[in-house]
Amino acid sequence: MVPTWSPAPSSDAQSIPVPRFSSPYYSSSSSPSVDNNSAPDAHEAGAGPSGFGQPSHPPAYTPVHVRQSFGAETYPPTPLYAIPLHYPQPSTNTFVAPAPNTTSAGSDQAKKKIDWPESVRSYVQRSFLPAHLDESVTRQEMEAKLKETISQANVSGVMYTINWETMPLPQAIVREERARARLVQQPPPPPVMSSESSTDVSLRAAHPTLTTTTKKRKSSDLSDAPLAASWRAGGQGRLEDRITFAADKRQSSVDDSPPKTSKYQKQQQKQMEKRQKRFNGGYQSTYRSPSPPPNNGPVVGTCQTLEKRYLRLTAPPVASVVRPEHILRQTLELLKKKWKAEQNYSYVCDQFKSLRQDLTVQRIKNEFTVQVYEIHARIALEKGDLGEYNQCQTQLKALYQLGLKGKAIEFKAYRILYFIHTANRTALNGALADLTTAEKEEAPIKHALNVRSALALGNYHRFFRLYDETPNMGAYLMDMFVGRERLAALCNICRAYKPDVPLRFITEELYFESDSHAAQFIMDYSGKDLLQDRDSTIYVLTGKAGPLFEGHRATAFARVDIKGQI
Amino acid sequence: MESLFLDFGAAQMRKRGYELSNTLSPNLDTVRLRAVWNSCDADDVKSVVRRYIQNSTSGPEKLVQEEVQGWTEVFAAYWKAVGELLAIQDPPSTNGLSTRSSWTRVYDTWKEMLSALIRGYNTYGFEAWTIPCLYVAGKYLRVFAIKADAERNSGNSHENGGAANFQDDFNPESEQNEKLEDCARQLNRVFNLCLSDRAPLDESRKWGIYHVINLLFKTYFKLNSASLSKNILKALSAGRGDMPDLSVFPASQQVTFKYYEGVLYFLEENYVEAEKHLTEAWGLCHKDAMRNKELILTYLIPCHLLTTHTLPTQRLLERYPRLQKFFLPLAKCIKRGELHAFDLALQEGEDEFVKRRIYLTLERGRDIALRNLLRKVFIAGGFEEPKEPGGPRVRRTRIPIAEFAAAISLGSQETLDNDEVECLLANMIYKVSQVLHTIASPTRRHSWRVPLRNLELPNLMKGYIARERGILVLSKNGAFPGTGV
Repeated sequence: MVPTWSPAPSSDAQSIPVPRFSSPYYSSSSSPSVDNNSAPDAHEAGAGPSGFGQPSHPPAYTPVHVRQSFGAETYPPTPLYAIPLHYPQPSTNTFVAPAPNTTSAGSDQAKKKIDWPESVRSYVQRSFLPAHLDESVTRQEMEAKLKETISQANVSGVMYTINWETMPLPQAIVREERARARLVQQPPPPPVMSSESSTDVSLRAAHPTLTTTTKKRKSSDLSDAPLAASWRAGGQGRLEDRITFAADKRQSSVDDSPPKTSKYQKQQQKQMEKRQKRFNGGYQSTYRSPSPPPNNGPVVGTCQTLEKRYLRLTAPPVASVVRPEHILRQTLELLKKKWKAEQNYSYVCDQFKSLRQDLTVQRIKNEFTVQVYEIHARIALEKGDLGEYNQCQTQLKALYQLGLKGKAIEFKAYRILYFIHTANRTALNGALADLTTAEKEEAPIKHALNVRSALALGNYHRFFRLYDETPNMGAYLMDMFVGRERLAALCNICRAYKPDVPLRFITEELYFESDSHAAQFIMDYSGKDLLQDRDSTIYVLTGKAGPLFEGHRATAFARVDIKGQI
Repeated sequence: MESLFLDFGAAQMRKRGYELSNTLSPNLDTVRLRAVWNSCDADDVKSVVRRYIQNSTSGPEKLVQEEVQGWTEVFAAYWKAVGELLAIQDPPSTNGLSTRSSWTRVYDTWKEMLSALIRGYNTYGFEAWTIPCLYVAGKYLRVFAIKADAERNSGNSHENGGAANFQDDFNPESEQNEKLEDCARQLNRVFNLCLSDRAPLDESRKWGIYHVINLLFKTYFKLNSASLSKNILKALSAGRGDMPDLSVFPASQQVTFKYYEGVLYFLEENYVEAEKHLTEAWGLCHKDAMRNKELILTYLIPCHLLTTHTLPTQRLLERYPRLQKFFLPLAKCIKRGELHAFDLALQEGEDEFVKRRIYLTLERGRDIALRNLLRKVFIAGGFEEPKEPGGPRVRRTRIPIAEFAAAISLGSQETLDNDEVECLLANMIYKVSQVLHTIASPTRRHSWRVPLRNLELPNLMKGYIARERGILVLSKNGAFPGTGV
């Protein structure tokens, strides 16, 4: 009998390969039995989804499937491996994984093979150790969770750096998630709200042997195994045990319902889909799946690696790839060291972004958060990465408002300078409104305010004196607009002074490093003809400049790169 | 309930939009609201309401079945919102806890009613004359949103409404104004509902557009994102072709719209356009709408200061004590050229000015004050010895920088070196007027390339600095344009 390999359900198609691994309890070289392979089909068709258990057989396990190997010549179709289990209730917990990752052979051949590190393999093996098995977590869930964890690690590039030794096992993660879902009183989405598309349904109709995907949790996934063992078997940390308790209780109530319901629900679901199709006039073949039940509480990270690549979230964060605060503190120290030693901005910025993300998803708002944003802001400033800098300063503003301690004065001053640079009057007005009378007297803020008013009134003389005495890192910001202000001042001088001024005057007024810098600046803006050497003094023929610099000035002011993203 | 639907029926039969909208008002006395609330319960509200609505009209004006369905949903939602509203107005006897998040609930139920209304137009064929219902729904949606946000922020709950947060950073602003931001989105739906109506003009929802726009502007300003209003204006001007002219809309809507348009230009530093729109608003404003007039003047006066260098008179401000406090001290200092006093006055009003976003504009009044001070120096310089006796008297136009330095140092009560004084003088010469630079420069996204000569805005000072000789040479005719010397 040829096993039915069906095209992967949509959710599977885009997932990435997961390593092949094997449980130490079976030999992966054992030749697959084709007959065994049809077992899930028979059950699906016959006894219903809850009838996976085969009392006459010893408990059977399948390995988590290996995407890249599926259907490839090197590997035979996934067999069922029978492993004796030393469980008190051997008869009930026979899980037959219904080939969750079944993918068409063709598409898999195209997938490139990934060499999975040893640590990952042993992590997976560990997950399937009988001592760690948890009956409240079905095999399918475990596999899905494993796949999720590992692919997430792979995608975020921490596959090789993550400490797989300390990574919580998939069953623990699943339990934790359930517990949380329970705590926030979010019932799982009703079965009628299936995310399956109608094509999926029709497929299933055509291939009655096809089982459901592993990604979704169905009531049929819940094993009817006794509860008592479930939350002890895991042998995880105490806290988890306690959290899990709530989840288990809920499960018992679900389990009480007769197994038939799932079938009934499935039917109902199909009907609903039909109805839905009718309602849409048949135009929409898919309808939006409900978003996963929102997690009201923030995630509590469990990831133990210090470094993590930044990846924009498109789905709710997963605890296993989020670092808790004490790890993040170590990360910050590491990043500070690395920044000092290597000055690799793209690396550091990326790491800081993931650091910030972890803080955000866990809703950590304390002085450590302030510190992270301050340091990232400074580094971004130094590198002229205004986009990141601005994100940081926006956060800092809010964090200071919460009353968290930090270098509020320093950053409020930067904020003013930043808005001067971006010529954002509305924001500048807002920044002014935020200042208290006492703050206005603080040296850095007073400096920034003076810069602002000097520019507002066109007092370039005062502006360049202030440029000279900028506190902290404000000069990085002022550097960004000093060029255009020089042009503006030059326009001004050319209009007002006749017939000429000594070059030295320009050098001093506009705070150039030297006469040659000043001359170079004028020449850069095609003002070469205005320079004149007379009695060994260089003069600038301001009277002849006309509107020469006006155009440059206008362009300089027009080109305020607000995003400034690197 | 019965009287509610009597009114409803009467309004429907006579096609009176505003009367109809009154039946959806949440701002009735508690007795009437309670009567509405008590007349049915959650199980039978729809059937009760449907029965009332079906019987409310008769004859040729009888509502068609579709509309009955639509209005039933609207009033069922209204009934629910009224229930939440009453729960707040009457403190429950048991404990205070149940009222805790009520404004949020009021907001949510009211939003449902607005959605039912929008559905009514989209699906159940509500006619365009009923748009005042949208006004009422939108108006109170905003009120409830503000209350819900205030209520949530005053409590120490930091939970965010359960929305999944995939952002990398917190968004403190949107957490604070969650409901109001949502309200802006809802109003935007109404805006599009009005804008996109393709029905012939006399039965078009386009007539509701300015009312909704004004509500949206109000909301955006409150959200501190006035710039979003620009999107509305853009959408509006894109559809202007088949839009009735603003001048045929009710005057109240015109005034509000013009005011906001003017303020938007003002915030962009486009004072010329701002002045134009604000002046129109001023002209249309009801003579007794003191608050509105005060608001208009708050922006119109700084506009005038910069565009025409004119100051408000005592008489104009007579009836506006607040504006007197704002502007009179500044005006006095500007007129007399008292720099130091000007700085003090500006500092005095800083908080208020910043709050109204006029600080940065008023600050530029210092230029005018300086100009007036320099003018005094010029006048004090007297006249040149006439070249020939009896010839025309010519003012002394070559003035040592030191004289100005003395005046400015005295006026600002701080010692300035000659270079800085020269810088200030250069500014006076350079500044045709800051307004013009703004207009001509492409800095602003919406640049208004008004030809310079058409505006004929005065220079602050005409002349040049001869640095080598340390003097300022002023123009013989009109050194200080527009001031008579």
